[in-house]
Amino acid sequence: MREQDTRSRYHKLPLEREALRDVIDLALWAGQLLLQHGAESARVEESVHRLGTALGADWIDVLVSPNVIAITTNSGEEFRTKIRRVITLGVNMRIIDEVNDISRRVTEEKMDRFDVRQQFKRIDSLPPQYSRWQIVIMVGLACGSFSRLFGGDWPVFIVTFAAASVAMTVRQILTRRYFNGLMIVVITAFIAGVIASIATVLHLSPKPEIALASSVLLLVPGVQLINAAEDLIKGHVVTGITRGIMGGLISLGIALGLALAIQLMGVPNL
Amino acid sequence: MSILDLIGLVVQDAFWSALAAVGFAVLFNVPKRTLMGCALGGAFGHGLRTLLMHTLGFDLELATLAGSTLIGFLGLLFARRWKAPLPIFTVSAAVTMVPGSLAYRTMMGILQLSLLTDPAAGATILVETSITGIRTALILGAIGVGIAAPSLLFFRNKPVV
Repeated sequence: MREQDTRSRYHKLPLEREALRDVIDLALWAGQLLLQHGAESARVEESVHRLGTALGADWIDVLVSPNVIAITTNSGEEFRTKIRRVITLGVNMRIIDEVNDISRRVTEEKMDRFDVRQQFKRIDSLPPQYSRWQIVIMVGLACGSFSRLFGGDWPVFIVTFAAASVAMTVRQILTRRYFNGLMIVVITAFIAGVIASIATVLHLSPKPEIALASSVLLLVPGVQLINAAEDLIKGHVVTGITRGIMGGLISLGIALGLALAIQLMGVPNL
Repeated sequence: MSILDLIGLVVQDAFWSALAAVGFAVLFNVPKRTLMGCALGGAFGHGLRTLLMHTLGFDLELATLAGSTLIGFLGLLFARRWKAPLPIFTVSAAVTMVPGSLAYRTMMGILQLSLLTDPAAGATILVETSITGIRTALILGAIGVGIAAPSLLFFRNKPVV
């Protein structure tokens, strides 16, 4: 590691100002794509650094904060600094995969900065891999599986599947109309809760409350919370705390929506 | 519990966890070629957690640490096998162990405290809420440490940035 660093520091040709501008732009773009779609901070820092140095910069300093990335590139006597605002979008592992792939190919010197720009443009307009209905059904099945893991029987599984699928459809519709994220969570949890309480109202099972608990699991901010833990462990305290609080707020939103549903349907609490 | 019952339990657990992991993987839009890895990660990780809780009497927190550590190491294998970044496998698999109902009960407890008419009755709720809250945090911490275990233990590089 150390050997490589010294080599890259002293044996690279200094980049033209023009090229350096391109390098910082691309490195920042990569970082933005990763942070936006659910990568943890350490990965963002590493990938940005690796991509930037592979494209010809001597050194790159990265500052990852919850909603902004700042980068300074150094090359010879020149340096440039740029920041970019990052809005957290949903988790999208495919984009993380593509960025990772590009960064690997650049390191292997199979791509230059012009190819990288082309590739990032392509990533920005990737067609969806899974149709809306595929996602709805798979998410319904996932929540159904959780109900089985919690010891639910088949009626509970079916109710959970139905509740989670409808909730996922609602969530997709609201997301497309740019509703506030937390509001979407409350509404979706409420709808899941109302449908899941059918199991209690119609006495479909001896343990109907499992349907209530499982049908909202599609909303649990798993990636947020796991990333929060990983960030904190690896010393990215600011991003870790921010993600943790966001995850906590989303959980509170789920509880609120479900509590409303339980009140409305008059079923006993979990 | 007889050995056969135990095997049946763990196999069922692994099956449903695999399905749950794939469901979340689709929600996270993982590349199609990696779905198999996500399923295997979920099955082995959650399966191990259930096995340890039933055989060795591990509590949920410790068993989660063991399960997510397995997910962390399997993730390394899968990342090589399917040429994809690590979090695709580790996060999709570990999401099956995220303590959703504990987090819910914590938040519900907080909401209940606001509705109390008799403050004295709040002591029980407060204690219960604290317990579920701490357990939620511990389990999440266990997941974080577990899936980061390979990089914390073996692949320690000099920080690049």
